[in-house]
Amino acid sequence: MGVTPIRPGQLAGVPLGRRPAEPIIEIDHVSQVFKTSSRRDHTALSDISLSVEEGAFVSILGPSGCGKSTLLYIVGGFVSPTGGTAKMKGKPITGPGTDRGPVFQEFALFPWKSVLGNVMYGPLQQGIKPSKAEARARALIAMVGLTGFEKFYPKELSGGMKQRVALARTLAYGPEVLLMDEPFGALDAHTRTRLQNDLLEIWERDRKTVLFVTHSVEEAVFLSDKVVMMSRSPGRIREVIDIDLPRPRRREELLLDPRYQKYIVEIERMFDASGDNELPS
Amino acid sequence: MNALLKPLAPVLACCGLLAAWQLASLGLKNDSFPTALDSLRAIPPILTDKESLINILASLRRMAIGFALALSFAIPLGLLMGRSRSMAAFFNPLLMLIYPVPKAALMPIIMLWLGVGDISKTLVIFLGVSLPVIYHSFEGAKAVEEKMLWSGAAMGLSPGERLLRIVLPAALPEILTGCRTGIVLALITMVTSEMIARQSGAGNILFNALDMGQYDTVFAMIIIIGAMGICLDAAFEVIRRWLVRWSEPQFDMPLSFS
Repeated sequence: MGVTPIRPGQLAGVPLGRRPAEPIIEIDHVSQVFKTSSRRDHTALSDISLSVEEGAFVSILGPSGCGKSTLLYIVGGFVSPTGGTAKMKGKPITGPGTDRGPVFQEFALFPWKSVLGNVMYGPLQQGIKPSKAEARARALIAMVGLTGFEKFYPKELSGGMKQRVALARTLAYGPEVLLMDEPFGALDAHTRTRLQNDLLEIWERDRKTVLFVTHSVEEAVFLSDKVVMMSRSPGRIREVIDIDLPRPRRREELLLDPRYQKYIVEIERMFDASGDNELPS
Repeated sequence: MNALLKPLAPVLACCGLLAAWQLASLGLKNDSFPTALDSLRAIPPILTDKESLINILASLRRMAIGFALALSFAIPLGLLMGRSRSMAAFFNPLLMLIYPVPKAALMPIIMLWLGVGDISKTLVIFLGVSLPVIYHSFEGAKAVEEKMLWSGAAMGLSPGERLLRIVLPAALPEILTGCRTGIVLALITMVTSEMIARQSGAGNILFNALDMGQYDTVFAMIIIIGAMGICLDAAFEVIRRWLVRWSEPQFDMPLSFS
């Protein structure tokens, strides 16, 4: 399965002069086996091969327990695969790096730092002058819509606001790839929709490569250029679907678009057929 | 009404305790149980006596040194144990052995080796403070969210930097809880060490007075030591609250975004 050809429609809206065809991430026959307490090995990922082109928004969609987050952690360098290799720009991934920025469902903000302190953390770590780091952080805080909350501590923010800070914090150190691990999974439906819209708007400005893990079919179709469907026990890729919908996307237009509806129905049918029907949307 | 009573509550409790003491003492008429008023009257002479003040300050100095040394040793050790399985596997059994031993029980041996001076007493205070601080630092470090460390790693923080700049602040509320226990233990071990190695200090004044049958001075010293404990604890609590102000919710309800 692995590498899928790029259909022309997928590139709609990509500015000229950029070559999105370069694979920025290559996952090559990766598998992950965990030792469980009962001494039986649990295969979380089995022989996964996937390549992600630069500038693409790729979602990894699957039921809980299919190893989709593990796959993301392997790309992040937080977890080493037990088999196969993952490469970033041709170089094997051996650990975390500033070229791959994670955004977690749990936000994982530094609670002792203010919003500004959190967003400035990465740039300061990179040795950027404090005045410059602050200017960059303030611009990003404005971009995620949190102007006026710079001095707040994470404790004082709602879940949606925390995730906005987490996104700004990751964008601040300029990773080439965003690794988003069910980032909106802990949020209520309304906040979730707003954050999806805002993420899309931010993404459509500079088209960073995004690897986005979710179990929501609608979320995956709405955001992505490509949806990687996974099945569980063991975690495998069962289908890679190009989402051939025009950009910039607007929710109210898409909801009325039969092509959008068709993608969702098709994907849900495929999951139903496989018995992986524990797919909350 | 409630707002008025709240700050007065400790004062009322103190007055109640003193009144009960006064009555009990008057009722019992025992020489070794002076009245509250007599004991309170014995405080100013102690606090204006140069010799006594030097003794009390020497106690506080040993306590401060023992406490500071304990923190600088126990916090790094606890954090390392919390983040490294092999460190925990090595030190946990050792600490479990030492934990139930009353540190003052080690005093005779320590005195034998190091004499009755400052070093022995400071060492006992150090031991007394170290264990709760190690334990709480360990627990705090263990509980640090993995994803927070991953976020730091993705920003380019090395393992050492992550320990210092993520694990330490993230575990700070728990560490400071250990330190607060440590302060009280420092005071206790300070007095007991001076009780065993009778050479100088607040504990020495107390036990000298006891030997000479000056019971009002004995009780006055108990009040002074108790007051020192309360003041130290209150001062530490102010510092602690300020240091972890970020970990306490400042609003009852989180602000809604929309």
